[in-house]
Amino acid sequence: MPMTPRENFLLAMSHKTPEWVPVDMGKHIGSVHKTAYPKLREFLGNVPMRNDQLILDRMAQTVVPDEALLQRFHIDFRWVKPHWVQVKERTDTNGYVDMWGVPYKGTEDGEHFAVDGAPLAQAATIADLDDFAWPDPEDPDQFQGLREQARALYEGTGYVVGADAIKAGPLMTALQMRGYEQFFVDLVSDPEFADALLDRITALLKRMWERYLGEVGDYVQLAYVTDDLGTQTSLLISPKVFRQRLKPRMKDLHEHIKRCANVKLMMHSDGAVGPLLDDFLDMGVDILNPVQTSVRGLEDTAALKAKYGDRLAYHGAIDVQQLMPNATVEEVRWEVAKRIHDLGRDGGYVIAPCHNLGPDIPPQNIATLFDTIHEYGRYPLDLDAPLRTDASYFARHARA
Amino acid sequence: MNLNDALFDAICEGDRKTVEKLVRQVVDAGGDVGALLRDDMIPAMKEVGERFSANEIFVPEMLVAARAMQAGINIIEPILAKSGHEPVARVCIGSVKGDLHDIGKNLVVMMLKGAGFAVEDLGVDVPVDRFEQAVQRGAQVVCLSALLTTTKDAMRPVVNHFKGRDVKVVIGGAVITQEYADAIGADGFGADAPDAVRAVRRVLGLPVEDAHAHDAA
Repeated sequence: MPMTPRENFLLAMSHKTPEWVPVDMGKHIGSVHKTAYPKLREFLGNVPMRNDQLILDRMAQTVVPDEALLQRFHIDFRWVKPHWVQVKERTDTNGYVDMWGVPYKGTEDGEHFAVDGAPLAQAATIADLDDFAWPDPEDPDQFQGLREQARALYEGTGYVVGADAIKAGPLMTALQMRGYEQFFVDLVSDPEFADALLDRITALLKRMWERYLGEVGDYVQLAYVTDDLGTQTSLLISPKVFRQRLKPRMKDLHEHIKRCANVKLMMHSDGAVGPLLDDFLDMGVDILNPVQTSVRGLEDTAALKAKYGDRLAYHGAIDVQQLMPNATVEEVRWEVAKRIHDLGRDGGYVIAPCHNLGPDIPPQNIATLFDTIHEYGRYPLDLDAPLRTDASYFARHARA
Repeated sequence: MNLNDALFDAICEGDRKTVEKLVRQVVDAGGDVGALLRDDMIPAMKEVGERFSANEIFVPEMLVAARAMQAGINIIEPILAKSGHEPVARVCIGSVKGDLHDIGKNLVVMMLKGAGFAVEDLGVDVPVDRFEQAVQRGAQVVCLSALLTTTKDAMRPVVNHFKGRDVKVVIGGAVITQEYADAIGADGFGADAPDAVRAVRRVLGLPVEDAHAHDAA
C-alpha cells in the first residue's frame, strides 16, 4: 500500500528519506489572497474554486483554499484553525479590534488591514496591566467544533493534520498591545515591565493552547506558533535581549504545547533569524518556518541544511517577496529544484511558499510552483538536469 | 572625560537623563549649541546608525538612543531657532497610498532627525498631493516607504510626479531593492534606517562620510 501523506511527513520529520517532499499551503500564513484567487481559478480553468469570500486571515485578506484546489496542487496538509473570538467591529472606521484589544484598520480598497493603535500605550505601571481587559482564555467559542473537524480529517483522510496558530506569539502581541516603539524601549529601559507584559501574554497563550489541544490533540501531528524576530537585514532585537526576555517564555510555551499533545512544533518567524537557530532548537522548535530566502543570512539553504539539518526541519523557502511576483516560469522551476536539492536530502523539509500568495503573483507562477514540486519532489531525488539550466532568479538579480 | 565625549557616549547608550543634563550645562554656560549639535550630537547618532548597520545594536537600542538625542534637541531647538540655525535640509516622508505600515518609516524619521534634518512626517496611506503640499512647504527630499509587494507600485506615481523638478525622491521598505529604485527612476534607496540617511545625503550631494566625524581621542 502506498504511504499516506501523514506517514510520509512523519518519516521526513524524523530526518529519514520519505517517498516525496511534503508540500504545504493553506494555513493562516501561507494561503492565497482574495484577489489572486479568482485569477488562479481562471488560469487553472477546470478546478471548482468557490471560496473567494471565505476569509482565512482577516488582516491579510487571504481565503480558505477550496479542497479541490488543495487536491489539484497535491497539498499534503489540512489545517484546523482556532476561531476568531472576542473581536469587536469598529464604528469609527473600516476595521476591528482583536481579542488582545489591538485595533486594525483596512485600506480603502480593503486589500489588507494593519495595526492602528495600541491599547496599552498609556500603561505606566505593572498595576495598569492588572486592570487591562485581557482576552478570556476560557471562551467556549474559540475552539468550537474543531475536535470533530480534526477527527474527521484524521480518521477519514491520510493527510497531515495541523493545528494552525493562535495569533500571535509573545513578542508580536506585546509589540502590538504596547505599541512597537514603546515596547522596544521597554525591553531595554524597563525590563521589569516588559517581563510582566510578556508573562501575562504567555500565560494566556499557554491556557488557550491547553484547551485547543484538549480538543484536537489526539488528531494533529503538528502545532504552529507564530512570532516575528527578524527584519530584512537583521534581528529585531539583540540576541542578548532575546535570550533574557523572550527565549525563556517561548521555551515555556513550546514545552507546554508538546506536553499537551504528541506534536511536532513548527515556529514561524519572518526575517533574518539565522543567528537564533541554536536558540530555537533549545526552545523545542522541530520545524522552522518560513526560511525567507530573500533576507540576509538565509539565502544559502545548502549551508542551513549542513549546519542544522540533522536536528531542525525546514518549512517554506519559496520566496514571495521577490521570486514569486517577478520570476519567469523557468526561474520558478529552477528555484523548486534548488530548494529541494539543498534542503530535501534525508527528509527534514516541507516545501511551501514563505508567506501568502499575494495579488501581484501571476497565477502561472503559482501553478508552476506546485506542478514542479510534484514533478521534482519524488525520492530518490534527481535534480542535476533541472539545476544545470542555471535559471536562478536571485543570481540574475545579484548580477544586475 | 570631557563634556563633549560624555555627551557623545550618553547619546550612543541612550542615557537620556545624562544627555539632558549635559546639554543644559552647555546652555546654562552660554555655549555654542549649534556647534554642540554639529560636532557631538549628530556624530553620535551617526555612530548609532553605523552600529545598527553592523548588527552591533538593534532596534531597541537605536530607539533609546534616538529618544535621548531628541531630548537634547528639544532643549536646544528654541535657541537654534532664535539664532537662525538652518537644518541640514528639509525632508518629508510617508508610507505610500494604500500602505498602512509605519514601523520602518518611523525609524527612518528618527534617524533623519538625529542627522540634523528637518523632517515632516506625513504618516501612512499618503496620496501624491500630500507629498506635493509638503514640497510646497519646503521639503527638498521626498522619502517613500512600503512594506508590501502590492503597495510598492504606489511609489511610481510619486516618482513620476516629481520628475524633472528640483525635488529628490528616496525610497525604502521591506520589499524595496536598489534594482526597483532604478526601475521606477527614484533618486535613491535606503536598505535600512541609517542607510536611508546616507541615501538622502547622497541625493542632496552632501558628503556621505561625515566630515565632522567625532574625534574620540
